[in-house]
Amino acid sequence: MLSKSRKANGYQLVNKKVPYLFILPWIIGFLVFTLGPLIFSLIMSFFDWPITSSPTFVGIENYKTMFTNDPQFYKSLEITLKFAAVFVPLNLVIALILALLITQPLKGIKMFRTIFYLPAVVSGVAISIIWGWIFNSEYGILNYILSLIGIEGPQWLVDPKWAILTIVIASAWGVGTMMLIFYTDIKGIPQELYEAAAIDGAGLFRQFFSITIPCITPTILFNVITSVIAALQQLALVLLLTGGGPLKSTYFYGLYVYNNAFKHHELGYASANAWLMFIVILILTMVIFKSSSTWVFYENEVKRKGKKKK
Amino acid sequence: MKLVKFKSMFFLFIATLLLLAGCSSSSGKDSDTSTDGKVKLRFATWDVGDDVDLQQKMIDKFNEAHENIEVVLEAYGSDYDTKITAGMGAKDAPDIMYMWNYPQYKDALEPLDSYIEKEGADYKDNFYEALWNYNSADGKILGLPVGYTTHVVYYNKALFDQAGVEYPKAGWTWEDLQDAARKLTNKETKVSGFAFSGKPDPYDFEMFLWGNNASYVDKDGNLKGNLDSKESVEVFEMFQNMEKEGIAITTEGSGSTEMKSGKVAMFVYGAWGLTPLKEAGIDYGVVELPSFKNGKSVSILSSSGVSISENSKHKEEAFEFIKFWSNEEANKERIGFELPVLKSVVESEQLEQDEIKSVFYSMLEKSEGYTPASFIVKDWSRVSDNLNYVFESIFNPSTLMDPKEALKNAAE
Repeated sequence: MLSKSRKANGYQLVNKKVPYLFILPWIIGFLVFTLGPLIFSLIMSFFDWPITSSPTFVGIENYKTMFTNDPQFYKSLEITLKFAAVFVPLNLVIALILALLITQPLKGIKMFRTIFYLPAVVSGVAISIIWGWIFNSEYGILNYILSLIGIEGPQWLVDPKWAILTIVIASAWGVGTMMLIFYTDIKGIPQELYEAAAIDGAGLFRQFFSITIPCITPTILFNVITSVIAALQQLALVLLLTGGGPLKSTYFYGLYVYNNAFKHHELGYASANAWLMFIVILILTMVIFKSSSTWVFYENEVKRKGKKKK
Repeated sequence: MKLVKFKSMFFLFIATLLLLAGCSSSSGKDSDTSTDGKVKLRFATWDVGDDVDLQQKMIDKFNEAHENIEVVLEAYGSDYDTKITAGMGAKDAPDIMYMWNYPQYKDALEPLDSYIEKEGADYKDNFYEALWNYNSADGKILGLPVGYTTHVVYYNKALFDQAGVEYPKAGWTWEDLQDAARKLTNKETKVSGFAFSGKPDPYDFEMFLWGNNASYVDKDGNLKGNLDSKESVEVFEMFQNMEKEGIAITTEGSGSTEMKSGKVAMFVYGAWGLTPLKEAGIDYGVVELPSFKNGKSVSILSSSGVSISENSKHKEEAFEFIKFWSNEEANKERIGFELPVLKSVVESEQLEQDEIKSVFYSMLEKSEGYTPASFIVKDWSRVSDNLNYVFESIFNPSTLMDPKEALKNAAE
């Protein structure tokens, strides 16, 4: 019995060459463009590398400098975490609301779906430039509109207090993908559940909180994790919209790493920075995953519990 | 079962590695010489659009005239610095590169002094003297000058006419500028007399300090006693006061956007503004920078040159090309978007008589003999970052730090 199954498996594996061949491009791509650079940057983080000359080994010096001798490191980390703390919940709520709206059976809803999704397709560079025009305090359209209703708009990109909010608003623009994921999941909720709830006399809000939300918790988990990662890696927008200013109030961690590498030419140090962020993201993701057992609900979970297998 | 799986994975891994090795070795050969035995040179430019077309045409001309050399243009655009940095890190920098920030890249560039010497003294003398300083680092010439600009004051003629203010003339002072700005500022029509960047690039801003007999650092690169000297504080106070008084606005960028809108009467800018402002329909004039009471009118140079990578395998051929790139003919070809750097071309094209371009040349002559801090301070990019922050805190309307204190802290 045992030997037979082994044989069968071995035979299968020989035959499995073809599938491997099919995924070979992806494997090569992964090794060359992801794993390779990943390992390389880890090694580099232990070197001092002023890019125009050759690297010298410095041990954990880069990490030491980061923690003990670089105030900007803490500032950038703080700004980025703050941004994530505002951006992630806001983004989730907006995406969820939009997803609910576009599931409504209305006339022309397809057009709205397209409109809401459109910003996700436009390149980040174009979005940054357009927001730059919108937020310009002297000639920007936003302050013009505010002035029409009698409000003197703040100097969005000049006042350090407002700049981070500016980035949050501009980032929320790219909510389309998340909305779409919510949308497909909400569409997948069996209609019977709602019908049953309606018969029991549950109102719309009750239905939303007792049916919709529990059913889409796996998607919420997914979106929380991806948007936390996206928020912590935010670069394009600050690079193009504010350049980290005003007064370094939007000097995000991504920009800090980028500038260390390509402006100050300290590639080893920048690699160390990047690895630290990797660890931060890893820990955050793990925490979220751990917590998920208390609030994420999978359909097959109930069955398992019923059978008491674990 | 596991063993078989492991084996196949291992095989796959080796195959991938071999494949990669194959790729890299063959591409290595390619960059040396092309198939027909010509020396192939890669040339990186930061220009975009029409400028690149013009450059390609000039390169075609060069390639036709040289049987043994083939120059290939690589237009990196706005990502220029990132890309050549990455290229240098990978020991795969282009043979020839446009260059301006010499101190930062000096270790990866070929010193050109011996090449230039071979061309004779007349060759070197035909370039404006001030340009050589800007195309060197540590006393070695690292690039041949291609273009430059000094900074001048652009003024909007229409706004001057409306306010009945006389056009500024060379030899004017900052007080004259402030007087004019006061008259030109009009709250009702939202016209500002003067505009300057609220977060000026420290490299550019040093020229104002020079004008008041100050600088960021001394010969040895010490900020203390220089950046926070009485003279340099005066400069910052003057700019801040203009802002406080409301006769000047600070801009988010260089100020050219604001100038284009026709709501700003004067701003300081390089030759980059000549064409865009004309296209925006602004009838402008340019005039030399104003001078300080006990000082001078001095501008910093923003210059560009072409350099050879230290790792290039064909430096002789590369020099042949950069010589071509900075010769008279090339200077004339570029005249539409670059100020010529050769005295002979300025003479033959009569630029000294040109009402607008002559201003940049007279500014150039006045600006000889100054060395920007970026050439003196070792880790300028860090220092520049810090200065940038301090300057912003002085000019940002929501902070308006006291210059004296801010600069004193920065110097320490």
